[in-house]
Amino acid sequence: MAQFWFYVFTLVFFLFDYFILAMGLNIQYGETGILNFAYIGFVAIGAYVTGAVSLPNSVGTAQQYIFGFNLPFPFSLLAGGVAAMLLAVVVAAITLRRLRTDYLAMVLISLSLVLYDVINNYVRLFNGADGLYNVPQPMAGVLHLTSNAFVVFFACVTGVISLIMWAGMSRITRSPLGRTFRAIRDDPDVASALGKGVFRYQLTSMLIGSFYAGIGGGLIIQFGGSFNPTAWLPGETFVVFAVIIVGGVGNNVGLLMGALLVETLLIHLPAFLPDIPGHAGLIEYIDAMVIGIMLMVMLWFRPQGIIPERVRHFALPAGELLNRDGHSVEAPPETMNNAASTLSASETHEGDRA
Amino acid sequence: MSQFWMAFGFGLVTASVLAIAAVGLSLQFGITNYINFAYGDFMALGAYTAYVFNAEIFHLNIWIAMIFGSVIMGVFAVLINQFLLSPFARRFNKSFYVLIVTFGLSLVMLNLVYSIWGANNRTYSMKLEIYKHIGPFLLNKYQIIVMIISIAIMLGVHLMLKTTRLGKSMRAMSDNTTLAMTSGIDTRRITTVTWFLSGMLAGLAGTVLGITESQITPASGELFLFVIFAAVIVGGVGSIYGAMAGAVLIGLATEISAAYINPAYKLDVAFVFLIFTLLFRPNGLFARPGKA
Repeated sequence: MAQFWFYVFTLVFFLFDYFILAMGLNIQYGETGILNFAYIGFVAIGAYVTGAVSLPNSVGTAQQYIFGFNLPFPFSLLAGGVAAMLLAVVVAAITLRRLRTDYLAMVLISLSLVLYDVINNYVRLFNGADGLYNVPQPMAGVLHLTSNAFVVFFACVTGVISLIMWAGMSRITRSPLGRTFRAIRDDPDVASALGKGVFRYQLTSMLIGSFYAGIGGGLIIQFGGSFNPTAWLPGETFVVFAVIIVGGVGNNVGLLMGALLVETLLIHLPAFLPDIPGHAGLIEYIDAMVIGIMLMVMLWFRPQGIIPERVRHFALPAGELLNRDGHSVEAPPETMNNAASTLSASETHEGDRA
Repeated sequence: MSQFWMAFGFGLVTASVLAIAAVGLSLQFGITNYINFAYGDFMALGAYTAYVFNAEIFHLNIWIAMIFGSVIMGVFAVLINQFLLSPFARRFNKSFYVLIVTFGLSLVMLNLVYSIWGANNRTYSMKLEIYKHIGPFLLNKYQIIVMIISIAIMLGVHLMLKTTRLGKSMRAMSDNTTLAMTSGIDTRRITTVTWFLSGMLAGLAGTVLGITESQITPASGELFLFVIFAAVIVGGVGSIYGAMAGAVLIGLATEISAAYINPAYKLDVAFVFLIFTLLFRPNGLFARPGKA
């Protein structure tokens, strides 16, 4: 029985963790239109840094890694988030300013492959192909938790963290900042014509998203105690894309739904199936193909996802303007109306128009 | 010094493989104006198709198997375009959708190769050839044949683009699709032919990559992808001659650097080139106006 709950709470953990990861990619791709094909690289940096700062000094252990500060739990996680943001600053400074969407995607996918190659080969950084292991389980020692109890405990901790991050993300997407992100997604030229510094906003969006990626990655290594290159093959980015596209781009509730369907039901549940004899790993391969095909079918028949983005209306009724007290006044200057309708048009998502 | 020239020789081999791949990717990008992120997996599937003809059934000579493999990949690419990519490209006017579809296609194809052939390395059945000193270089017969094939393809592509009606239509379409259409060019037919050529070159590149590295793995194409991207971006995206020049530059740079730094990082050198190109000449060395 204990085994059963162990599995269930493992699934619960991955549900909440991928909810966090999906929110991070959603602010970049879904809200701002940055096609970040290197997303899993940011997740990995978050995981490695979280692991490396919470481990003791590497001298005298069988592993090689940098840092080794023995930091306690919430701080190690924050370090992971900040590390992912630092990577984002470097990447954004080089790539965001000059590149069109598809070139950016090319450079980012290359970055993801190179990052993978370097971390895999440069053993002194994060223990190379073996990855980090024996990462201390947060608070397990203080609370005297068995390994089964730890899974339950940490799944709940992740749930709380994801709710806090959800609240933060809702504030961002509802704020003027979020509206500007969406305007840039729909048409960067219009946004910049309205006086928005496109690069600055894209950078902000990259930073917020990378923080979420780093936290999500950090939680993975804290939960499992280990992290190695097989956990973040470049194809993993696609899984996060599948989560947000299936669930509904630009809708935070949809993301939770997507995480449930894709991550929990399609990825982690089949992992418990027994292997087909003589065909090691076949289930995993078929699983990945199913996800790929499902995503294409989804994009074709329901590009807005299961729970679509809310269409937000900000334009006033034609010919009305509000005065300072909130009452409507006469005299609609033509230009004001145009600007307002541009903003409201920019709120409609591409998928709805198609 | 001899070490340098040996590395230079290997560089020419890598450049030959890279040039075939980069031209195939560039041709398609110029016509359809979106990147095919599954290109590396087209290469891998082509390599494995050739492997089937070479080692599993028929036991054909590797060069003949290569031709079969690349023609099948050409047909496959046409079908993929017809039934998957071109409907998406027509329906959604933002490039996001079709890019994500090619990205997903790459996942599907990679895992298809894994589930059919497994994760183990395969080798083509061909006679072992010893390395010989040719001038300052140290090469074997297969590597020399690959270089000759590559040069022949580059010449062929050049002649096609400059002299044939098809090539001229392709150049016209890549400059301005609408204008080409109103001038009476059958853009759909040109797109189909381009996908065929692109798929064929991908299959060919995958196979010669397997021959020069003397092994094929399902992920070999995918890991090679960023080197192709580096060659294409350094040369200027969408420019065929730029892709050729970029391939030579990146091919030489990766192999020569392997003589001086840890060879495990040799492909990452390509990424360094890519970053410097982006910083100082974002449109590439041979940029065409209005494409960046």
